[in-house]
Amino acid sequence: MLEQLLMAFINGILLGGVLALLAFGLNLIFGVVKIIHMAYGQFVMLGFYFIYYFYTAWHLPLLVAMAGGIIVMGLLGMLVQLLIINPLLDAPRLNQLLALASLIIVLENLAQVVWGADYRGIPISMPIIQFGDIFIRSSYLLAFLGAIATLGILYLFLHKTYFGLAIRSVAQDVEMARGMGINPKVIYYITLAAGGALTGVVAAFFIPIYTVHPHFGASFTLMAFVIVVFGGMGNLLGGFISAFIIGVVTSITAVLASTEVADILALVMFILMMMVRPQGILGAKA
Amino acid sequence: MKRNSTTSKLIMGGVLLVIAAAPLFAESEYLIHIGTLILLWAFVSTAWAYMARFGLVSLGHGVFLGIGAYIPVLLFNYYGISPWLGMLAGVIAAVIIAAILGYACFRFGLIGDYFALVTLAMAEVVSLAIVACREITGGSLGCTLKASEGWADLQFDDKRYFYYIIFAFLLLALYIWRRIDKSRMRLALTAIEESELAAASMGVSVIRFKMGITLLSAGLTAMGGVLYAQYVTYINPGTISGVGVSLSTCFKAILGGMFNIFGPLAGSAIMVSLEEYFRVSFDTGFLGVSEVIFGIVLLVMIIFLPRGIVGSISKWLNKRFDAARS
Repeated sequence: MLEQLLMAFINGILLGGVLALLAFGLNLIFGVVKIIHMAYGQFVMLGFYFIYYFYTAWHLPLLVAMAGGIIVMGLLGMLVQLLIINPLLDAPRLNQLLALASLIIVLENLAQVVWGADYRGIPISMPIIQFGDIFIRSSYLLAFLGAIATLGILYLFLHKTYFGLAIRSVAQDVEMARGMGINPKVIYYITLAAGGALTGVVAAFFIPIYTVHPHFGASFTLMAFVIVVFGGMGNLLGGFISAFIIGVVTSITAVLASTEVADILALVMFILMMMVRPQGILGAKA
Repeated sequence: MKRNSTTSKLIMGGVLLVIAAAPLFAESEYLIHIGTLILLWAFVSTAWAYMARFGLVSLGHGVFLGIGAYIPVLLFNYYGISPWLGMLAGVIAAVIIAAILGYACFRFGLIGDYFALVTLAMAEVVSLAIVACREITGGSLGCTLKASEGWADLQFDDKRYFYYIIFAFLLLALYIWRRIDKSRMRLALTAIEESELAAASMGVSVIRFKMGITLLSAGLTAMGGVLYAQYVTYINPGTISGVGVSLSTCFKAILGGMFNIFGPLAGSAIMVSLEEYFRVSFDTGFLGVSEVIFGIVLLVMIIFLPRGIVGSISKWLNKRFDAARS
């Protein structure tokens, strides 16, 4: 039992890394465009399908297929900005939420029309690493390391480049950024493209771990939400830390009880957090 | 409403008369079935709009639908208790849950998007809980209501019974809407929506009024869940609780126009008929095409008709009236 719990803990940490990446994208979009991207998990699902499609239909090498998937998802992110978010920038919050929620209906059913309801996956067998009594799947480890590396690159992008500076300034104060000669619309497009590409990256890391089906994304949207709110909306570091907390808690609960109880626990943590500390674990009081 | 009240009363009476007379002219059972579904969802989304039009946008009415649908069905299947008593139990349970959740939200001052997101999470919690108790509820496979017949068990072979029963419930919901409009509650809630602080300092009890409208809305929504279960006779956590149905309830009200008494009814009529139309005309070939088109239509309507259909029409009419007068 103890080994099982320890393994659940390690898996939670490893999966937490990938969830941190996912939550980072949602958080970035919320922080910059001030919109809650309800269909974010569905984007991961689409990215998974695109990589699968490039790999099986066009017979591209896996890494090229992954790169292709990431680029397509980035373009799709810009398309969402163009067709849905731009016309709704001044609309009531509720309409923005519902528009992106109806995007969920479109994407899930589109995937079903194109690829069918079956479970699809690219069979890759990766070794299992053993430390004494502990077994670690190398696919999880790879995803974790990759996610941390991607987060590092994103950090450098946000802090060391002109575009990163522009994105952060728009997140802080749109009017002031406009005054400094930054066009917020352009920044929104870049943010959505980066957020879209991130879903492609997450999908690439998920390929050795999961198989995909049209409703694959829903649970990830929910997870990303929980993490973002837990860490404080718009707070990137808070999101990073809470991804590991949520990852460990759900993974251990899933071993002790069941996956439904684990999801319920995560959601209850989310609800309590919203009530008691809506600014998140690291947020400053507004 | 800027137009004089006789006109709006005439329109109201006309619409209700058409709904009441419709089954007499309906050619097939199928049309009555569609009509029943429209009235059912109109009832639920009207109850939802009670809260939403005062800024309390709940994305979690699946909580109350799920409780309302499951409690009577389980009571009937396991103990043979009449759905009328089951409805009472379901409504009481929903109201108690609404009181706990609502008090927690309002006590901690959750408003706007935060309220919407918390309620959305609550809907998912209830749906997951129903799946987790799979020994009793049948889990994600859902559960079927034991067949029966007659008023005591609220099941009928003739669809017209349900049409008129649900129509009666809709009338009740519309009547309550009118009563709210004429009451102090509307004034208090409008003031609270503008500014909670200002309302509280004028002596308006913020939590009490918000709780009042929440309990009313939750109770009626639970009744909607009961009616759904009795009419469809099969319930499933994915279709009657959880995020999907919660969102589609507010889609209906918002597309129709949630600030207008007939908005939710119009929205339900459009959504249900569109859904059916696309399903019948496209799903012979590929599964899912109808839903894709449906989603795109929803998106376009949300982007271009943000006030809802009835809202947009009544705004346009008001403009015409003002132009004619001056």
